[in-house]
Amino acid sequence: MKIAINVLQALALILGGPLVRGIVARVKAFLQRRQGASIWRPYSDLAKLFRKEDLVPPTASSIFRVVPFVLFGTTICVASFVPLVQPSALLASRGDFFLFVYLLAMGRFFLSLGGFDGGSSFGGMGASREALVSSLAEAPFLLSLVAVAILASHADIAGMVAWTMQQNIFNISAVHILAFTSLAMVVIAETGRMPVDNPTTHLELTMIHEGMVLEYSGPRLALIEWASAVKLHAMLALLVALFVPWGMASSVSVGAIGLALILYCAKAAPLMVLLAVIESGMAKLRMYLVPDFLGVASAVSALAVIFTILVKR
Amino acid sequence: MQLVSIDRAFVFLLATLGLFSPLVLVASQAKRARILAIALIVGSNVVGCFVAALCFWRESVVLVDFSSFTPFPFALEIDRLSALFLLLICTVAVPVAIFAVSYFGDHYGKERRNWMWAFFSLFLVSMIVVVTARTGFAFLVGWELMTLLSAGLILMEGDSTERRHNVFLYLLMMHAGAAAVVASFFLFLPYSHSLDFASIRTASGAVPAGTRTLVFLLAFLGFGTKAGIIPLHLWLPRAHPIAPSPVSALMSGVMLKTAVYGFVRFVFDFLGGGPWWSGYAVLSVAAVTGLLGILYAIAENDLKRLLAYSSVENIGIIFLGLGTSLIFLAHHAPVWAGLALVGALLHAFNHALFKSLLFLGAGAISNAAHTVDLEKLGGLQSRMPVTGATLLVACCSIAGLPLFNGFVSEWVIFRSLLAGSVLINTKAQVLLPLTVGVLALIGGLAAACFVKVFGVAFLGRPRSKAAEHAEEVPLAMRTGLGLLATSCVGIGIFPGLLLRPLVSLVQVLVPGAGVPPETVSIARVIPFAAAIILGVSITAALLKRRERMVRTWACGLPGLTSRMQYTSTAFSKPIRFVFSPVYRPDRKIDKLPTDQPYFPVSITYRSVRTTSYEKAIYRPFAEMILSAAHRLRRMQTGNIQVYLLYIFLTLVLLLAFLRFQK
Repeated sequence: MKIAINVLQALALILGGPLVRGIVARVKAFLQRRQGASIWRPYSDLAKLFRKEDLVPPTASSIFRVVPFVLFGTTICVASFVPLVQPSALLASRGDFFLFVYLLAMGRFFLSLGGFDGGSSFGGMGASREALVSSLAEAPFLLSLVAVAILASHADIAGMVAWTMQQNIFNISAVHILAFTSLAMVVIAETGRMPVDNPTTHLELTMIHEGMVLEYSGPRLALIEWASAVKLHAMLALLVALFVPWGMASSVSVGAIGLALILYCAKAAPLMVLLAVIESGMAKLRMYLVPDFLGVASAVSALAVIFTILVKR
Repeated sequence: MQLVSIDRAFVFLLATLGLFSPLVLVASQAKRARILAIALIVGSNVVGCFVAALCFWRESVVLVDFSSFTPFPFALEIDRLSALFLLLICTVAVPVAIFAVSYFGDHYGKERRNWMWAFFSLFLVSMIVVVTARTGFAFLVGWELMTLLSAGLILMEGDSTERRHNVFLYLLMMHAGAAAVVASFFLFLPYSHSLDFASIRTASGAVPAGTRTLVFLLAFLGFGTKAGIIPLHLWLPRAHPIAPSPVSALMSGVMLKTAVYGFVRFVFDFLGGGPWWSGYAVLSVAAVTGLLGILYAIAENDLKRLLAYSSVENIGIIFLGLGTSLIFLAHHAPVWAGLALVGALLHAFNHALFKSLLFLGAGAISNAAHTVDLEKLGGLQSRMPVTGATLLVACCSIAGLPLFNGFVSEWVIFRSLLAGSVLINTKAQVLLPLTVGVLALIGGLAAACFVKVFGVAFLGRPRSKAAEHAEEVPLAMRTGLGLLATSCVGIGIFPGLLLRPLVSLVQVLVPGAGVPPETVSIARVIPFAAAIILGVSITAALLKRRERMVRTWACGLPGLTSRMQYTSTAFSKPIRFVFSPVYRPDRKIDKLPTDQPYFPVSITYRSVRTTSYEKAIYRPFAEMILSAAHRLRRMQTGNIQVYLLYIFLTLVLLLAFLRFQK
């Protein structure tokens, strides 16, 4: 029964990915006083892409063809790490957050290779920038999770979530605030949102993610887009699960699970609005200011780790 | 009964590699003789794998004593630690030898090829002697031969002045390191009746603290030089790239690990841990080594130099694990010390596999495209699909991606660093978890570095005529590459195979280590994750699709050329920019003609890395020695009476020493 719910919540994460994108885009449109597309728009985009044919550049090798599948596979695996409605997930009790982070890195590694294979300058450019951002984001990503893991004395995500659920909601430590701040910054960098990367542009001066996927089309592009939507959703769900897990179902019953799902939506909604506000309110950072942005995240996450001494004696 | 046969198999391995094959190769130029010798080299290494595997998994101990033939006690023994490293040597030697069959065949004439093989075989045996030595004498003989034979292999490849200079530097630094190793052996002598390892082990309890510290420092210095920790790495990026690729594979993949073996043998087995600060010292040196190593690697465009620097980085990761283990030992937390040691040893093993694979891959590239300059490669994947696939495995492994072996060992080290938080009220409580950040940065940069290697060399369009006409390498080379790639993936998906015996090994080295639950959990979760990833990827790939070939859009230009692609230099530019204090680049732009700056006819741009260990550390040191030597020269007057005076004074001093000794 528990496993069935784990499978279902992984499915909810995967299928709900495009919806998160749609909602963020809708809120952004609202903030910019545009009418905006429906929140279901990403789904019809995916359906359209799946129906189209694949265009492949003549220089492309087998790597170019394989990359979207590997990326999708690793992202699905990542999604099965994140607890949504109960403090467990398919892989969350055995696999720890190091595996989680490195699975994300694996997808990125392959996507960068896919960028190279188009044989144009844009793919390499995107890969090169992604290399900078991701290599600098890895340290704050892991350190902020390390801080939480030290408090919880658990390295598996399920254990971390279960520990936080037992704490008093009003008894939040400085460690949590610092870890949340740096993790949120990392989420922005990892998922390629403003102010690190602009997901809506194809301007060569700014693009990172879009540069790498420029040569992809049809079903392969659909898989890449879906994977990045799932990644965004999984990261938001991770933030919710680690820092505001209260309300997750501790027993297996339809009522508890249903309530937990509603509460999850209520908890995730402010994060999506926050993302939209940041994206509408900030200009994209110059490429070489991104290391400073991630430097701040690293410093904050290091502080979080140091503060664990004060909290945990 | 069974033990006897293992003993014999081990003697067969030594005799074939050390005597028979080289003799056949040197004595006869006939093709049949060479084939026999090569088959014996490969076959005996396969036997070696079985011997090592039996000793490693079943813990049989093999003891071979040659003391009756030698002036000093010369005995070899395979205990579990030796078995691990013997397994490492033989597992790597088999594919490398298979690869070398066609590599040596393509590159050298008959006579030189035979000598190459003879040295290759002896080089292997010298490393085997080092890791199985039971007496100090055997260890040092192996250690010295290993250096000399590898230098010989480098010199056989060519004979330019620059090469000689590099080999000289290599020999010089190796001997400085060997001197430190010899000294740390001899420091045991007053307390142990011989340099037999067993008696050193029992005597080490009686060694006073001051001497122990000295032994630790000398061992760290001596083995650190061989391993290439920064700033003692100077020789490594010079000597490794100029060797023939199969030899570079052995030097980087295997020879560096003998230094790790030596360090573990001395510090963990003999001393049972260093002074309290030793872990912190090793950890900080290792962190600097790892970080600078990968930063230098990413800036390189010569594939073999890049790989050499990445070896420096990986040695940093291995010593990071060793340092963590020492910290836990000093704080009496044997369980976590064991975990960190497992991580370090496993990474040593994994690095041997993927680094030799990468160096062989570089050899395959140079065979096909006649260059290892990344700026002249590109588009090789569609031309050499097998080489490309195996190198992709190597790149994923070294970047520490899950499902490949590099991840497992880095994961174990990560977990042991995280466990540092249990050391409440010590410096390590926060230092070790913060080191997670350093290792993560190293890992991230390594991933970037190997995206560059694979992306630039194998994907996109070829950047030179040679790369365009590259063809897949011969079967022997592909077999060697394939074997190594398979073992990388095998360990990556089923890490339990190696983790279980490693845990038993560590329980011997670190008393009270126990079985860390982490090693069990990773072995369970990885195959599961692999199943999910493979299942989903394959399902997605099976969906029905229509595919059409369309030229990449060229922004309205007639077409894309290879010069429009991102180059290796361009790829690393952002990282070099961010870390420019590390490289301290010296840039120069010349525009011609100088009087028309806005309408130049030609622009030349040069950027040189100016960070120089040679200038900052080695030159002053060398000058100090030279000036001391100059001052000493005054003693040598050429006057025979003065020399007689020296002899007389020495005699008087010795007599005085004898008289007042008691």
